[in-house]
Amino acid sequence: MQDNNLSHEESLRLINTMISKAKDAYRDTGVGAMLWGAVIAICSLTRFAEIQFDFKLPFDINLLTLIALIPQIFITIREKKNRKAKSYDERFLDYIWLGFGISIFLLIHVVNLTFESWTPVSREYAALAGHPSSFKFSEFVMPLFLILYGMPTFITGAACKVKPMLLGGLFCWLCSIITVYTEYKLDLLLTALSALMAWFIPGLFLEREYRLAKKKETSPNV
Amino acid sequence: MFKELDPILHSQLRLAAISLLISVKEAEFTFIKEKTGATAGNLSVQLGKLKEAGYIDISKQFKDNYPLTLCRITKKGIDAFEQYVAALQSYMQPSDKNS
Repeated sequence: MQDNNLSHEESLRLINTMISKAKDAYRDTGVGAMLWGAVIAICSLTRFAEIQFDFKLPFDINLLTLIALIPQIFITIREKKNRKAKSYDERFLDYIWLGFGISIFLLIHVVNLTFESWTPVSREYAALAGHPSSFKFSEFVMPLFLILYGMPTFITGAACKVKPMLLGGLFCWLCSIITVYTEYKLDLLLTALSALMAWFIPGLFLEREYRLAKKKETSPNV
Repeated sequence: MFKELDPILHSQLRLAAISLLISVKEAEFTFIKEKTGATAGNLSVQLGKLKEAGYIDISKQFKDNYPLTLCRITKKGIDAFEQYVAALQSYMQPSDKNS
């Protein structure tokens, strides 16, 4: 780029070009979103298969979410290292997703404690009433997770202007309402679908955008 | 009445650099170099002028044992950029009305 003086039109054009080029600096690769979309979908579908086909894996499939943290850490470090510019909302979004991760683990803990407390009560009720309770706590577990899935997804989609992710967040919330009225087995299928809609598909979209932006980068500068 | 264009910003490379920096929180020198396609020497001189005017901050750090130059727009730089764009728009408006 030569250091020439500019006409007014050229100045405005240059400003627009540079602002749109800056956007490419903090483009998400979509790999993290694809990873989590796939992991949550696999966990939910496996749980569904266990119930549907009456078998039990020798380990809890949900442990896959803990294992997935390892590649996620590497992805985050690599992406941050390759990023040569920091956006204003990057830090804000990092905290949102960190808060989401903490909330998920707290929710798992609370749900497990509630199950532990509810099981003896449920047994006592069945012994006294002569029939099992019609209230099944498990029916209300997935809606809680789906409400939580929707929030950071919706915010990220809106903040980063990634429409598929914003719609994915809305889809999670829609499924959270549906799953209140459906049985646990179907809840798992809807959770898998939500994970694909909220993360995996937006991840594919982001990855494609990232590749296109990289390709554009190799085109001549202004 | 036309507003005067800031001579510090009314230069291709300085305007390109400040337009990049207005969009991000901070950027590495190499990022600005890549996006503008300028030579390191020329860019260094122009960023120096922006720094002298108080429009940007330049800090030097180390990343993986390599020196790293980080640039960040200042409040004064943001104000100057906004005034520059407003001035440009005031130049453009009369011609829009005539067309």
